[in-house]
Amino acid sequence: MSGPLLLQSIILGLLLGGLYALLAAGLTLYFGVMRVVMIAHSAFLILAAYLAWYFHRETGIDPLFSLVITVPLFFVTGVAMQRLLLSRLRPATLTMMSVLLTFAIALTIEGMLGYVFSGTQRRIQLGYSGSNFEVFGANIAAVKLIAFGLAALALLGLYLVMKKTRFGQALRATIQHPEAARLLGINTDRIAGYGFGIGLATAAIGGTALSLDSTIYPSLHWHWIGPLMAIIVIGGLGSIPGAAIAAMVLGVSQSLLQVPMGTTWAQTVFYLALFATLMIRPQGFFGGRLAQRF
Amino acid sequence: MPSASSHAADRRTGFDRALLGGKAVLLVAAATLVLAFPRMAPDAFILSVGVVIASYAALAVGWNFVGGFTGYISLGHAAYSGLGGYATALLIIDGGLNPWVALGVGALGVALVAVPIGVASLRVRGASFVIVSIAMVLILLLVSQSWSEVTGGSSGLRVPRPFGEDVLRPEQHERFFYLHVALVVVALLVWWAIDRSRFGMGLKAIREDEDKAQSLGVPTFRYKLVVFVISAFFTALAGGLYALWFGYLDPIFQFSILIGSYMVLMSLLGGIRSLLGPVVGAVIVGYALEYFKNQYGDTQFHLVALGLLLGVVVLFMPDGVLPAIGSLVNRFRPTAASIREESAAELLERSEETRQAEEVHR
Amino acid sequence: MSSGSSSLRSLETEGLTKSFGGVRAVDGASVAFQDGRINALIGPNGSGKTTFFNCVTGMIRADAGRVSYRGKDVTGAAPHRIAAAGIGRSFQLCRIFPRMTVLDNMLVGVRPQGVVHRLRSSRNGDDISRARALLARVGIDHLERSEARDISYGQQKLLELAGVLMTDPDTIMLDEPAGGVNPALLGRLGTLVRELNAEGRTFIIVEHNMEMVMSLSHHVVVFDRGAPIAEGDPATIQNDPRVLEAYLGV
Repeated sequence: MSGPLLLQSIILGLLLGGLYALLAAGLTLYFGVMRVVMIAHSAFLILAAYLAWYFHRETGIDPLFSLVITVPLFFVTGVAMQRLLLSRLRPATLTMMSVLLTFAIALTIEGMLGYVFSGTQRRIQLGYSGSNFEVFGANIAAVKLIAFGLAALALLGLYLVMKKTRFGQALRATIQHPEAARLLGINTDRIAGYGFGIGLATAAIGGTALSLDSTIYPSLHWHWIGPLMAIIVIGGLGSIPGAAIAAMVLGVSQSLLQVPMGTTWAQTVFYLALFATLMIRPQGFFGGRLAQRF
Repeated sequence: MPSASSHAADRRTGFDRALLGGKAVLLVAAATLVLAFPRMAPDAFILSVGVVIASYAALAVGWNFVGGFTGYISLGHAAYSGLGGYATALLIIDGGLNPWVALGVGALGVALVAVPIGVASLRVRGASFVIVSIAMVLILLLVSQSWSEVTGGSSGLRVPRPFGEDVLRPEQHERFFYLHVALVVVALLVWWAIDRSRFGMGLKAIREDEDKAQSLGVPTFRYKLVVFVISAFFTALAGGLYALWFGYLDPIFQFSILIGSYMVLMSLLGGIRSLLGPVVGAVIVGYALEYFKNQYGDTQFHLVALGLLLGVVVLFMPDGVLPAIGSLVNRFRPTAASIREESAAELLERSEETRQAEEVHR
Repeated sequence: MSSGSSSLRSLETEGLTKSFGGVRAVDGASVAFQDGRINALIGPNGSGKTTFFNCVTGMIRADAGRVSYRGKDVTGAAPHRIAAAGIGRSFQLCRIFPRMTVLDNMLVGVRPQGVVHRLRSSRNGDDISRARALLARVGIDHLERSEARDISYGQQKLLELAGVLMTDPDTIMLDEPAGGVNPALLGRLGTLVRELNAEGRTFIIVEHNMEMVMSLSHHVVVFDRGAPIAEGDPATIQNDPRVLEAYLGV
């Protein structure tokens, strides 16, 4: 691969990795607060993308502004989902049943999207859709940079909340040691609800970012859940930094492989890495002590 | 005390005998209905729906070897039915084998492939296992879509018809209906044999508490792997048989998470720990699916119906229909004494009685 | 009961070490338990007893050191191999199979003897009568058909012990058997342990209940900060200043 092409691939990979990192962070949050594998995360991602597209189509305003609506909406939906549905599951079979329940939610979302918007592929066309920027000599699409910027901002916000705020502290305590957190007077049920809300909010942001650049259709979420799941297992279930690192590594790898192997084969890198992880270190590589063997 | 409890025991066995008789009658009635179905079906379309439901039943039973015995939920089990379909088709087309031989050899091949897959997947439990199973079917989807020279890619692969072109469609449906039913029966027999065996007892212990089972001497990894391979075998047979009937393979439908979720839903709905649960679930869900697909046609609304149904089952009926009916029936069972908290004193008294009785007998 | 040293070696460890993050839970523990006797493993909270227990029984992988049973190296062996070697164990928080009947709980422990044996029916006369005899011995045979999750905690503890006995172990390791158990049942458990020991089974008991330890055991090993600090018969241990220091921090 030639120099400039290599550089472009790496930069694209980093941009993609950033988006993966944000989405994987959300996925990790659900698992961290409640040991729930939220298969519907990517379905909400696509839902957010559809909402952004619909918003743009109906109002003509830049889809990024739909975030004003979708982020709070998804946050509330996340809290509601945790409080009303997931807390009903029996603790003994929680993980298994949560997989099935969230899978059911994903199916329902896909079905509704297909029903309401039909299966036609949609794409947002913006004034700046075609424009590029020069980054270190490589040609990068503006929309990708914006998407990355959005993801990076959101991740930064998440980091600040987790590390600097009281709420973030309570959230981290709930993730690391729910019983101890309860003894300290933290209302872990409420915190879990908020954790879910934040997770779903990341899906809103990610989906909007996605809508800028991709063609969307109802069953698109299946293309995302596989790689995202692989990322969180490789990173180490329950560890947000682990997921972020794995996301960046795999994003760059996918991008690098895309030129010689094509898009479809390049996606296999996630699954190959997943199986390698299972054979060598089932509890994940980057999570450290936080990662769980599940 | 003795007379009362033995009297109650008599009433209990009387009830059990009535229950057994009732179950036998139901079973005979169901079997008769199933065997007579092709004659009773009003048209070829209904007959084909019957084949589809029988296929779902075969898939669900195949899935339930792993789900029901070990409690490991595989959402990507369509990997094995898909592989079975492609293996059968390719063995006929490229290998020149007789269709039925291809079916058997293909399924055996898939069982062999399931060994390394199982070795990798069964190292993890719970959520990770589900994720890995999904990853498996997604990667097979990717590969089969890209590797067009072998699989025909997204344009699909035509499977040669085993009964020849001159056998009419309704006749084909009827034959494949009976073939699928035969597969279900064989799979159920194997499931039953495992259920009553010591191997099955070990598996069920794994389901209840894997670490505890291991501490009692159950070789958990080996047991899980064996039942995983058996499951892959039967699921592959079901996939291959369906391929022979349907005549056409498309990666999207062969390696579909959706079909994998059908298997889970059907077994869960019918009762994951019971012999006939998956079959009952397949009939209910299969019929509902075909109904929705028929009514709402091309819209994705059947996905909504499926999602809602799965959600309802998970939230309100996680043990399934058959066990729910079972406990309903048990309410009418005459009981000698309810299980009550036995105080330590009573416990001591009882064990003292036993020891004294033993002393006397010595 | 029986005095004098036994010639058979039992469970022994050499330099067993296990760390979690920065904490050394087990620190170069070298212990030799006595065959045919009732051994007790005591020590203050956090002394590493349960971690030691779990390393020896294959639940956790030790970082360093060796474990041998009757002269055979079983370091890092998986739990089912430990069981096959003849060591049975109970759990600190009593573990039984909740949705299986009491009888089925027992039948899980039948020792496998080859492929054909495993394919045979689990509910056969021989296994069932042996299971029933053991259930009667601990006093819960009347609960045979109840689901294990429906019986009381005390009954579950007895079931757990009976289930372990089903595997016919030469050595039985009990992790805090007195936990959550009322005094009457405790006495019954103590009697059972003595009876089983008289039949030739070795016991290794991790326990906090000093009365039970002192009245029951022949040989006591005291742990502190991940390693044994004293060993001997109950009377000697009770007066050992190192033991007092470990417990009271004096």
